[in-house]
Amino acid sequence: MSKKKWLTAGIAMLSVMTLAACSNNKSSESGAGKHVSMSATYSGPGKATTAGNNSTLKVAEVNDAPFAGITAPTLASNAEDQDVFAPGGEGNLFNVGKDYKIIDGGLANQKISRSAKTITITLRKDAKWSNGAKVTAKDVEYPYEIIGNKNTTSQQYSADYAEIKGMAAYHAGKAKTISGITFPDGQNGRTAVIHYSHMSPSMKYAGNSFVWTTVEPYEYYKGIPIAKLASSSKVRKNPIFVGPYKLDKVVQGESTSWSPNKYYYGKAPKVKHITIQVVSTNNALAAFKSKKYDFAAGGANSVMPSSQYPKFKKLSDYGIAGTPSMGYGYFGFNVGHMDTKTGLNVMDKNSKMANKSLRRAMMYAANVNAVEKKFGNGVSWQANTLIPPAFKDVYDAKNPGFKYNMKKAKSLLDKAGYKKDGKWRTDPNGKKLVIHFGGMQSSAATEAEYQFYLQQWHKLGLNVKMTGGKPMEMNSFYATLQKPKQTSIDVFLAAWSLSTEPTPTQIYGVDAPFNMGHFATKKNTALMKSLNNNKAWNAKYRAQQYKKWQRYMNSQAAYVAEDFSMAWSPVNKRVKGYSVAPTNNEFWSNLSLTAANPK
Amino acid sequence: MWKTILRRVLIMIPELIILSILVFLLAKAMPGDPFTGSINPRADPAQIHHLMEIHGLYDPWYQQYWNWVVHLFHGDLGMSYEYQEPVVDLIQQRGANTLWLALFTMVLTYGIGLPLGMYAAHHEGKLQDTLVRVYTYVTMSIPFFVVLVIGIWIFGYALNWFPTSGSVSAQASGLGGTMLSRLDHIILPGLLGALFGTVNIVQYLRSEVIDAKHSDYVRTARSKGVPMKDIYRHHIFRNSLLPIAAFAGYSITGLLGGSIFTEMVFSYPGMGLLFLNAINFRDYTVITALVLLYGFLNLLGTLLSDIVLSIVDPRVRVE
Repeated sequence: MSKKKWLTAGIAMLSVMTLAACSNNKSSESGAGKHVSMSATYSGPGKATTAGNNSTLKVAEVNDAPFAGITAPTLASNAEDQDVFAPGGEGNLFNVGKDYKIIDGGLANQKISRSAKTITITLRKDAKWSNGAKVTAKDVEYPYEIIGNKNTTSQQYSADYAEIKGMAAYHAGKAKTISGITFPDGQNGRTAVIHYSHMSPSMKYAGNSFVWTTVEPYEYYKGIPIAKLASSSKVRKNPIFVGPYKLDKVVQGESTSWSPNKYYYGKAPKVKHITIQVVSTNNALAAFKSKKYDFAAGGANSVMPSSQYPKFKKLSDYGIAGTPSMGYGYFGFNVGHMDTKTGLNVMDKNSKMANKSLRRAMMYAANVNAVEKKFGNGVSWQANTLIPPAFKDVYDAKNPGFKYNMKKAKSLLDKAGYKKDGKWRTDPNGKKLVIHFGGMQSSAATEAEYQFYLQQWHKLGLNVKMTGGKPMEMNSFYATLQKPKQTSIDVFLAAWSLSTEPTPTQIYGVDAPFNMGHFATKKNTALMKSLNNNKAWNAKYRAQQYKKWQRYMNSQAAYVAEDFSMAWSPVNKRVKGYSVAPTNNEFWSNLSLTAANPK
Repeated sequence: MWKTILRRVLIMIPELIILSILVFLLAKAMPGDPFTGSINPRADPAQIHHLMEIHGLYDPWYQQYWNWVVHLFHGDLGMSYEYQEPVVDLIQQRGANTLWLALFTMVLTYGIGLPLGMYAAHHEGKLQDTLVRVYTYVTMSIPFFVVLVIGIWIFGYALNWFPTSGSVSAQASGLGGTMLSRLDHIILPGLLGALFGTVNIVQYLRSEVIDAKHSDYVRTARSKGVPMKDIYRHHIFRNSLLPIAAFAGYSITGLLGGSIFTEMVFSYPGMGLLFLNAINFRDYTVITALVLLYGFLNLLGTLLSDIVLSIVDPRVRVE
């Protein structure tokens, strides 16, 4: 997943709000706001019928642009591709448990040896591609060749892959193969062993940055240069899959249609046909109202327009199912710069936002909860920490966060020496203080939200203005923030979406270019290291360290989570067995239909 | 005539070169790059830096421009950063969709506009004329995106008469089935485009016909006893087509431009949407290729209009 997926998720996160109606609110002891309770599963009334299962399941891909059409997970760079090719199984190697921990029973099993520093991936005996060819150990290794190739078009290579022995040499073009990936029973066998120079507890979880968790068909792609793979017809027009369905047809940018894959190793799918079609965000509600679709694609990453949630909820022929999203909106403060020589973020003691009392005061005064109550519809709510509740084991549910407290905010500023001089406060040295707030252009609701925050900060006595006087176009916003040093934006509102493994080093690490506020302290580095150190193989210790880190980040308030949200979808009442729970490893095969058309 | 055409074609070359340099510079001057916003746990900044390097995005603009020109002369417009496929293929796919829709819309627009213009002029000052004029004023004054939204809501969603998304059904099979499905997908946007896009043709034609009706040569023909039907067919209609003929060149070349509104409302993957997304995602190769193509088509449109005009009206032929 890259640019468009994450951006869409991000911008949707920022604009996930509109309308009130917080029905079914569930109170919470933590600093997180109230939100609706929503089941991850839905099953319509009645029994599945032959006519229903022989008909076509109609899935909407809610998006305003055509999809790119790249089926290879190693090369795809947007969420739409992942969604529209999902019935093919996305090449997934492993099944996962409730906390996204890799478990046995999928296309392959994973065995971690900490002493030998290896991961052994063993394919099941009946693993086949949809063209009938056997899935081999080479197919497990080939993704590493694709993402690490010097001329690849993939964006997926990361420094953590260099922990695989020989990977760095291969990535630099100094070696033709990756010496650290071996095949005990030959490359056509069922086992691949990956040798690491360093092991991480995160390797136990799907979505970690050390183990690539999908296969690519080496024999099928053989002969196509990796640089040209993404544009080849074998990737775009005639791809093969390992999942429950095979692709019958792809209309580039518009739709895909599927029928059961007779070579699938797992539970046989019941529904005989599936179509997934792009529908624009603005038309989604009307399309569901006229029963053109059964549900929206995306599952736990669904970006359904939450502003329309109350209207969707009123559709009598649809139920709503969802799960906490893996993303969140956050405030970031510009507290330093990136040293381009060392590649490390450095905090600047003299920067405008260097004083944590100022940052904390702004967060106490922001009154995020009021914004969420007004616009969140109960599917978006005030966040209390930088790990979303989707990661139940490590989420700090009791973290008090930043509940609205203007008195406390004012007191913090007074104590820190930000005295009032007329209408506005000055900095502790008595100099004029003007803070620039950066936010991306989005929906009218989001822009109203920006104005509300400005108003709250004005009440606090801080002269906060929007950078450039208005919300910024997305490219300008990120181009500004991604400069090693910038002074146009002092505080910003952005979004981050995690993979199924929540290690936060890539955004808050001392060497992370995505750490756009440049927050870097020794304690933060030490706490983040502790999330994946040797002790962290113990899940209890790991969870405890995650919570410590979340408390520390809130105490520093250099980054503060703004809101969490639900990833949800309407589901037509003819659908049975819909579940976006992470443990449902047979999402498509578990579906069945009670009627030939959406009811 | 041929000399004129040749001269015009030769003038187009420096125009296109200047246009290409301007477009290239303007595209590069926009904030961001094709990888801006690639901020997620799976996009490593070092890898993005590496991709920027291998795509030559750190090179000076003139070097990038030169590389682009060299590739252009080999028929290679580059790879789309967003779609990861050759820009030529992308333009072919989207261009075909746009062309179908635009041709269909144009045929309907002229099919509706020409008879209506003639009809109104024929009944000048009468109720029929007033009704046609009211129709054109109403269609002109309603914003087109409102028409599209209401149209898709009534005929697509409420009545379920037409498809509401895409250019062809995912389930269409065979050449016949695919063609029918394509036609099915363009009827509603095409019809809405035509019904609400005839104002220019109707008004131009109406006023030209009315002018011609009162001209000396028509009066002479009438005094000679030539039936009105023949006068309309042989004298009035041909002369009245001049402004429409001048407009036709642009219409034909404008076909490939696409309509962003229509494509957005109907999730119809055409050139307009491609261009819009290319700008949003800084897909430089697509932006430069499309602007150059549009520039070329505009120049060609001007040339075609002049040629058509000179065929229709010998007085404007350039020696």
